[in-house]
This record gives sequence, C-alpha cells and structure tokens, in this order.
Amino acid sequence: MTEKEKLKKVGDILLNNAMYIIIAVAVVYIAIMRPTFIKLPSIVNILSLTAAKLPIALGIGGCIVLTGTDISAGRVVGLTACISASLLTTVFKIFPGMTSAAPLPLVLLLVIGVGALVGFVNGFSVAKFKLHPFIVTLSTQLIVYGIILMYLMRGVNNGQTLSGLADNYRSFITGTLFSIGGVAVPKYVLYSIILTIIMWIIWNKTTFGKNMFAVGSNEEAANVSGVNVVRTIIMVFMLAGMMYGITGFLDGARIASANANTGLNYECDAIAACVIGGVSFVGGIGRISGIVVGVLLLQIIFTGLTFLAVDANMLYIIKGLIILIACAIDMRKYLVRK
Amino acid sequence: MAGQNKQNLEQNNSAPQRQLRGLYSKVNISVKSLNIIIIVLAVALVVCMAIGVSNAGFTVQFDSLGGTTVESQKHMYGELIMAPVPPTREGYLFDGWYLDQSTTRPWNLENDVVTESMTLYAGWRLQ
Amino acid sequence: MTMQETNASAKGGNQNVLLKMEGICKEFPGVKALNNVSLTVKAGTVHALMGENGAGKSTLMKCLFGVYSKDSGDIFLEGKKVEFKNSKEALENGVAMVHQELNQALKRNVMDNMWLGRFPKISSWCPLTSEKKMYDETKKLFEDLEISVDPKRVMSTMPVSQRQMVEIAKAVSYQSKIIVFDEPTSSLTEEEVEHLFKIINMLRDRGCGIIYISHKMEEILRISDEVTIMRDGQWIATREAKSLTMNEIIKLMVGRELTNRYPEKDNVVGDPLLEVKSLTAMYSKLKNVSFVANKGEVLGVAGLDSSGRTELLENIFGIATRKSGEIYLHGKQVFNRNAQESIANKFALLTEERRATGIFGIRDIQANTTISSLRKYHYKGIPLLSDKKLAEVTDWGIKAMRTKTPNQKTQIRSLSGGNQQKVILARWLLTDPEVLLLDEPTRGIDVGAKYEIYQLILNLAKEGKTVIMVSSEMPELLGVCDRILVMSGGQLSGEVDAKTTTQEEIMTLAAKYA
Repeated sequence: MTEKEKLKKVGDILLNNAMYIIIAVAVVYIAIMRPTFIKLPSIVNILSLTAAKLPIALGIGGCIVLTGTDISAGRVVGLTACISASLLTTVFKIFPGMTSAAPLPLVLLLVIGVGALVGFVNGFSVAKFKLHPFIVTLSTQLIVYGIILMYLMRGVNNGQTLSGLADNYRSFITGTLFSIGGVAVPKYVLYSIILTIIMWIIWNKTTFGKNMFAVGSNEEAANVSGVNVVRTIIMVFMLAGMMYGITGFLDGARIASANANTGLNYECDAIAACVIGGVSFVGGIGRISGIVVGVLLLQIIFTGLTFLAVDANMLYIIKGLIILIACAIDMRKYLVRK
Repeated sequence: MAGQNKQNLEQNNSAPQRQLRGLYSKVNISVKSLNIIIIVLAVALVVCMAIGVSNAGFTVQFDSLGGTTVESQKHMYGELIMAPVPPTREGYLFDGWYLDQSTTRPWNLENDVVTESMTLYAGWRLQ
Repeated sequence: MTMQETNASAKGGNQNVLLKMEGICKEFPGVKALNNVSLTVKAGTVHALMGENGAGKSTLMKCLFGVYSKDSGDIFLEGKKVEFKNSKEALENGVAMVHQELNQALKRNVMDNMWLGRFPKISSWCPLTSEKKMYDETKKLFEDLEISVDPKRVMSTMPVSQRQMVEIAKAVSYQSKIIVFDEPTSSLTEEEVEHLFKIINMLRDRGCGIIYISHKMEEILRISDEVTIMRDGQWIATREAKSLTMNEIIKLMVGRELTNRYPEKDNVVGDPLLEVKSLTAMYSKLKNVSFVANKGEVLGVAGLDSSGRTELLENIFGIATRKSGEIYLHGKQVFNRNAQESIANKFALLTEERRATGIFGIRDIQANTTISSLRKYHYKGIPLLSDKKLAEVTDWGIKAMRTKTPNQKTQIRSLSGGNQQKVILARWLLTDPEVLLLDEPTRGIDVGAKYEIYQLILNLAKEGKTVIMVSSEMPELLGVCDRILVMSGGQLSGEVDAKTTTQEEIMTLAAKYA
C-alpha cells in the first residue's frame, strides 16, 4: 500500500511538473550541444527578450484571473507600434504634413490611451453584455486589425512597413542601460521592471487588486459583498490594454520597424506564459512572480530551440503543444486537490 | 454517445463539490484521462523537438524580385551567409541583399549572422 | 403519520443485512477522516446517519461510491464483497444516491434526465430512441410514486423540490436496493417533506435499505428505524430510533451535553430603526411588502420555499431590481440601489446559497473576511492596503466568531459549513452594519455551530443592531426571534409575536396566498 502510494505521489509530482521537467531537460541538452547558449551574451539576450514580452503577459494575467482571456492583445500591440512608428519617425509617410517627430511623452500617452480604449471596449462588453471574453476579444482583434491596415494605407505609405524611426525614440528604448562584460543591456529592461513592480503593487496592495481576485473566484459573491463587479472587470481589461499599448511603444523601437504583422500571436505567448506560471484558468488564482517565471521559461526554451536552429514552422507546433500541456496540468492540479 | 453522456452525469453526481470553475467549468474529465493526455502531449512535444533538432538549419531564401533565380541556402544559428552568385536583371544593376522588399534594411554579408529562417530581397538600381 | 406507523413496517420488514461496511479507514494528508467506521443497513429499514459537519458522513458515502478509495476496510453488498470504482458502477449494482445539490441536465426535460445514458430503443434492431417508451415508463413510475410531474416538462422550469423527486424516481427506476438520501429535505417545504417521507416509506416496504443523512432531528426520529452517529471520523453509536431522544442524539453527536438548543434571549427591543414601505419587485412576485423593524430586535421571516422571503431581502439590499417602494433607516429614506450603496448605508446581507453567492472558495480566510471593508485597511494617507491591518482584522474575525481554522491563509472551501458561515458573518460585521439581513443563516450547519450562530445573532441584537432572519426551520424562528413576519406568494400574509404564536398559526398564514 505504502509502496503504491509512494509511486502515486512520485507520479503526481512528475505529472504536475512535467512542463518544468521538459524545459529543464531541453535546456541542459541545448547547453551541451551549443555551449554559447549559456554564455553571457545569450543570457542577456534572453533576459532582454523576457523583459520585452513581460508587460503584455502582465496585462493578460489579469484577464485570466477573471476567468477570461484576451486575444486582442497582439493586434493592439501592432496598432500601437504602428502609431508610435508613424509619429516618431524621420520619413513621415503616414502624415506627410508633419515636419518633425512628435514629442516622446505625448506619443507614449497616446498609445496608452489607445490601448486603454480598446481595453474599455473589451471590458465593457464583457461586464455589461455578459459576453464571453473570448468572443469579445476575437471581435475587437479583427476590428483592430482592420484599423491597422487602414492606418498603414494613409498618406503616401501605401501599406508598407514603417521604418526610419527617430533617433531619440530608438535610443530612449534600445539605448544602453549599462554593460556587463561588454554586453549592453537595453533600457527597456528597466521599463519592464518598473511595470512589473507597478503591477505587483496593483495586484497585491490595492482594493482594486483584491476585488479582481474576488470577482475571478466568485462573481456572484463579489457582487453581494459590495464589489463593483462591472467597474472591476472594465478596469482589468483597460489595465491590460494599457500594457499592450506600452508593449507596442517598446516594440516599435525594439524591432526598428512596424507593419501589419507586428505583434501577431503575442497573446499566445503571453497566455502560455501565464498558464505555465500558475495563473489558472480556474479563476482567482495567480501571482505576478509566476507570470515573470512563465515568460522567462518560455523565452529560455524558444531561444534555446533557435540556437539549435529549429525551423520556425516547427516552433509554432511546439508552442501549441506547450499551451495544451500547460492547460492540462493546470486542470489536473485543481482536480486532484482535495 | 449516450453512454458517454451517462458517464458524465454520473461523474457529476459523484462529485457534488464541483471543483473546476471558470474557463474549465464545463469540463468533466477524470484525473486518469488527464494523466494520459498530459503524457501523450508531452511525448508529442519531445518528438516535435527531436524532429526539429534533427532537421536543424534555417532556410535562407533569395527573392531576386524579377532577376535571375538564386538558390536557397541552409544555415545553422549564428552562421554567416555565403555570398551567392549575384542575380542579373535586364536594365538594372544589382546593389546587394535587403531584409525587406522596399530595400530599406540592407543585409551585411560579412557581419550579419543567421538567427531565423528568412527571405532576402534583391536591391536593384536603374542602369 | 405517527411514530407507530413509522416503526410498524420496520418490525414486519425483512431483517436481512443488505449492506455492510466494516472497519473503513480513510486518511487525507494530515487528517484521519475515517477511523474504523462500520455501518450495517438491513433490508426494509431506514438507517439514519448523523453527525456534525466534518464528522465523516459524506466521506463514508464517498468511500461507498468509489469517489474516494478507502485505505482499509471491507464493503459487503448482500454478503458479497464489493468495491465500486465510481458511482456509475454502484448504480448498476443497485446502490443509488440522491444528492443534496442536484446535478441535472436542466435544459432537458424530465424523461431525458430519467433515461440519460440508457435511452430505450424502439426495438432491438432499430437504434433510434423511443420517445413513447420513455414517456410511458416515466409516467408509470411517477404514478407509482405519486409524483405529479409531466415527464415532458423541462427541468429548469420546475422547483428544486420537484427536481429532487425526479432524482428519487430515477434511483428507483434503476431497481436500487440501497438508496442514499443526502440532506434531501433542505430545500423542501413541509408538504413536500411529507410526500418524500411517503415515498421513503414505500421504498422501505418494498424491501429497500435507505441511508438517510440529515441534520434535522425531528425528521430523523420520525422516519428512521436505526440511527448511526458519527463524530470526528469515528463511529460513536448505532441505536434503534425508538430508544433515542433528541437530547441523547445531540449528546452523542457533539460529545457534550447541550441542555438548550437555543441560547437565552436577553436582547432588548428598542425604537423603530428600519421601515419598509410597500416594496414591490420588478422581476419576482414580491408585492407590496411593508413592515417596521426595531433596534435590538431579531425579526424572523417565515414562509414556504419561493414565497418571496429571499427576494424580500435581496430587494432591501438592492441586488434585485425594485419596481416601487421605499426604505427608511432612522426615518431617513435610503435608496440601496446596489450592494455598495447598501453597505455604505449600513446594511449587510448573508445570502442563502453560501457556496454560490457567499464564499470565495479558492481564496483564503483573510481575503474572504476583508473583501467588503477593504477601504478601511489602507495605510494612512496612501490608498494601498496594509498587510498588518488586514491580518489584524482577520484575526479579530476568527477570534470573535470562534472560527476553527488552522490559520488565516487557509482556503475557505476546506472549512466546514459552519465555519464558512462564521467567516462570512465576520466579513459583514467588519462593515459595521446596523441592519443585518440573514438568509437561512444555519442551513447545512451542524448542531453545535448552529447554537453558536444563534448566540452571535442575539449578541448582535443586544448591541442594538437589527437582525432580519429568514429561515425554513420553524423551531429556530420561534426560538431566536422576537417577531415573525410570514410571507406567502410574494406578499406579507401576517405578523406574529414569536412568544405567543404556534407553528400551526404560522403554517396557516404561510398558505394564505400560496
């Protein structure tokens, strides 16, 4: 009996951590095959990419806590990246009338506003019309995509990729924060850290954060307990939208260009990262630290696979499988308990 | 189908404290079948990774944009691209490879290394 | 039905042992949920299983149905050793369970639910399902059990009590030898309870063994032949129901003597505090309800199920839409358009469905305690929450309510019903309310905890708060309240003094507009 139980316990641990085990084994394999993978430049690269993808995951995390999801994230990033790239540029193709780049803070505020607006539409529809977030964000995702395409047709651009960004914009984001061992750490890592801290405070230290978890774990009870459910849901989606806006602002400069495909499928990575990091689709469960770990792990495995020169097409399949496994494990955890 | 329904209902009955909420609230599945799913998926994942690794190499394609065809190359991560035979086109002069069709981001054959599968576009100048 | 009647069939019945569970042990990490428990059910008897919440009753049943695998012990069905892997297997072997919380396909009709998973075929060679056969057999079964439900009615349009009858009929249709009833009467009216008992007696006369789990002692003594009492996962006693009195049962269940089921009433009723004028609801049948509640008073609300009691509280608290009517507190009109506004106006509502609208199951005690009063725990001058303050008030809540919990980071769903209720009460007390609206505050709570809840209610009244309490258990209303409002068909059908009224008077009033 005890032997059997022990076996069951080991099996439980193995299955509940299957994701981490696979990633760990893969990392060890990659490190052996390509020793440069664990050298400083590669590590800095992984950390910077993690930082770049963190804000969007922090935003989506809130939606998942509300037992929802947000698949409009990638397109909002695309839109805000295009807006940033069109205003902070040297070759005014979208607005031929402009002669100098718009001021940075103004553009930042603008893209945050655009993100918040899309978030508001999402949140309002979810909260007031009681539509499933999946349907709502599926629609807004399409609408936003249409807007991106139309935006890129403006002026003399004719749907082309936006590039030729202003120097102050690029240096503000990709400029060197500091160097270690001759490897530059870009400035956006710092911004990402700041955003993470802000989100941690919002989630753990504010009434809004506590209300968010309450709504996520039992909406009815939250309503009875005096939580303004509608406002909480709208605010969570708006906050997420702002995060996408900031991501778009960072991404425009980071990639040094923006087009209609910028941000495509970012939400998949973010959702996968959240689930791997223990933000459960069960609702009302999740921690910022988990999201950070989730994004980091995902980045490690994909950078590693790139080091092994695995084809990008295969990476999509692998990504899909990872999301499936993460969900199955997440589900299993809450089935077994008790 | 009917049998399946029944099983679902019975499982429902046996667990009045329904645990799965949120996005999973309609999910009715036993731990055992979940275990099988996880294991199968994990194996599939490992197999995919193995296939990916054994087929390693990024394909670099050359789009000559109307010029003579240039053969694609296969490279590992961090390798330099071997300079292909430059394409030719009537009435134009070839001036190098670019990352985008609008020829704004040039590819430096001596310094830039391959990090993903990609397509390079030929840049043309009027003769 | 009298005691004699009830027990007559037991004597005449077949005394063969149908089900025998021996030495059942089950351990969860850190808890010994079942310790060497035995249960013997004879054919043609009703065997009551009693114990406080957390005594191990449901764990024992789950071991029987294979939901949990037992650590040790044996189960014999008609002398044959069995070990069911799931409740489906149990059902096929003649062991059925009627659950406290029904899980039915609500969008389907009655007969679909009855035959789900074993739809009768038109004939052996035609795999299409035969609606007619289904209808006829369901009809016949219902007539047999004197259930007046149309087999074609959609489940969601029927009250809980009728849905439960369907569930029972389904168990019968499987030719079950053992039928387990888990708190079957918690959502039934007196009349429906009578009907249920008639069906149970019928089943018993057919030679079935009935396991009856309930908290309601009056019922147990009326319906059962034998009583097994459990406490803390242990078997305490199995006695003949005839030889037991209510106090004895309580003593065995609690392990100590409870001389009084209700605490002494020493609250002083003061001036009028709350006045409700012709309250009419928009979407329910609540109509034209007016009453006055006084300071320091415990005001009961009696009535049948769906008589508008819950709707009354929901309308006062503003989580249901009002059509017309006014509410005055201290003579000043309050609007209570939503829960936030009601809380600000010092109202509190403890809902009936604890699991659905009360607790945040996966959140810890702290989050559950503080959710309604979060703004009070900000740092001075900064709108950020202080962990220290949160921990302090949660600690206060646990101590004041005497909640049994390992610590305040425990998930609330792992507590027993009574302790969950105490956490929710603490949540509301932290909002500093003047009017407490309690909807079935003791539903699904064991005897010991009930007493504590009564004590808390009376203490609140003594502090000068107004408590309005809805309950289906009449003795409870008579024991705790000062005045009792009786609802019937969405209207107020009367107001009685709890000291002088009788159950009969209340029942008559409750049936006035029904």
